[in-house]
Amino acid sequence: MKPGAPETDDELLLRIQSGDEQAFMALYHRRQAALCRFALHMSGSMSVAEDVTQEVFLALLREDCGYDPERGTLSGYLFGIARKLVLRHMERGRVDVNLDGESEEGGLPQLAVNDDPLIDLTRREGIEALRRAVHALPRRYREVVVLCDLEEVDYADAAVALGCPIGTVRSRLHRARGLLLEKLSQERSPRHAVSAWKPVRCLS
Amino acid sequence: MNCQEFWNTMPELGGADERHLQECAACAARMSRQRELAAGLRAVAANYQSVSAPARVEAPLRAAFRAQAGVSSDVRLRPRWAPAVTWATACAAMIAMAFFLMRGRQPEMPQPPATAGVEMAALAAGDETQSDFEGFIPLPNAARLAENEEVNVVHVEVPRSAMIAVGLEVSPERASELVAADVMLGPDGLARAVRFLDSDTLF
Repeated sequence: MKPGAPETDDELLLRIQSGDEQAFMALYHRRQAALCRFALHMSGSMSVAEDVTQEVFLALLREDCGYDPERGTLSGYLFGIARKLVLRHMERGRVDVNLDGESEEGGLPQLAVNDDPLIDLTRREGIEALRRAVHALPRRYREVVVLCDLEEVDYADAAVALGCPIGTVRSRLHRARGLLLEKLSQERSPRHAVSAWKPVRCLS
Repeated sequence: MNCQEFWNTMPELGGADERHLQECAACAARMSRQRELAAGLRAVAANYQSVSAPARVEAPLRAAFRAQAGVSSDVRLRPRWAPAVTWATACAAMIAMAFFLMRGRQPEMPQPPATAGVEMAALAAGDETQSDFEGFIPLPNAARLAENEEVNVVHVEVPRSAMIAVGLEVSPERASELVAADVMLGPDGLARAVRFLDSDTLF
C-alpha cells in the first residue's frame, strides 16, 4: 500500500481475517450505504434493506464466504451476496417491490407526477416518475439499472454480482433503458400507448 | 453505418458514433432522449445518496465479529486462496497449543448438555426460552445474564481446541479441526455462553 493511500478492500479483508475489528468496521462503513441502497431499490423495503446489509457482512465473516479475488472485486462479490439475499426475501414474500405506496420509514416522500416526465427528468417530479419506472421494471432489468446506473458499479463488477457475462450486463442495460423510455412515454401520453395496440380480431 | 448498426453498438452506454448522429435527425433525437434518461438516473441516484443503513445495524455486526474472535483467539477466516504454508503453520501451532493446554491442566469432566441446560435456566427466564438455550455452556469468567435480558445467538465455526476452555475434552489429533457452534451474546455484545452443535465434536 502506498503511504497515505486508503487501503483497498482486499487489504482490509486480510486484516479482517487476522481478527482486526477496525478493518471490519472500515469495510462496513465504506460499503454499507451502496449495499443498503441496492437492497432498497430492489426490494422497495427499508427494513429488508437493513436486514440484507447486515446479512451481507455476517456472510463475509463466515469462513466459507467464497470470495475469490481472481474472479472479481470484493465490492462486486458483496453486491452479489446482497442480490441473493434480496431474492431470498422476495421469495419469502416479505417485500413490496412497488414503492408507489411506500410508507416505511426511510422512504422518500411521495411526489406529484408531472404530465410530461421527459421534459426534464432531473426535476423533482421527473425524478419521482423515473424512480417509479425503475421499480416497475422486471427484476433482471431493474437490478442492472440499479447497479450500473444508480450505484455506478462498473460492468465487470456488475457481471460478478449478477453471475453473468459482461456482454449480458450491457445488453440488459440497453434493453432496460429502452423499457424506461417506453414507460415514461406511456405516462406522458397514455392514448398514444393505447393506439399502438393492434387489433387481433374484429368482434363486430 | 445505418441506423440499425448504430443502435446495435449500444451507443447510449458510451462511445456513440457522432458522425451518424450528425447525419440522422431521428437517431439524434432518440440519442438525446437517452441522454436525458441518463441525466435523470443520475438525479435519482443523487436523491438517494443520503440513504444508508441505520446505526442499529452496526452494533450486532460488531458483536458478531467480537464473538467470532472472542470465543477463541484461534478463530480465523481462512480464505481458500490463503497460502498452504500459512494453513499448515496454523494447524501445527494449534496442535501444539492443544498439547500444551492438555498437559498444563487436566480438563474437568465434560459437562453433559443437561447440566448445561440447568445452568442456562439460571440465565434465562421461562420454560420456552430454556428449551432454546439447551446445550449452552456458560463461558468461564463471563458475566451472568439477568432475567429477561436480551440475548443474541450467533453461529460461528471455531477450532475444537476452543472446547478445552469450557472444560470439554478434545483429542489432540483433532484440536485443529473446525466445529460449528452457537455463541450467546449478552446485550453488551460480549459472549456469555457457547453451544457446540456437532455431536461428533465430543471429543
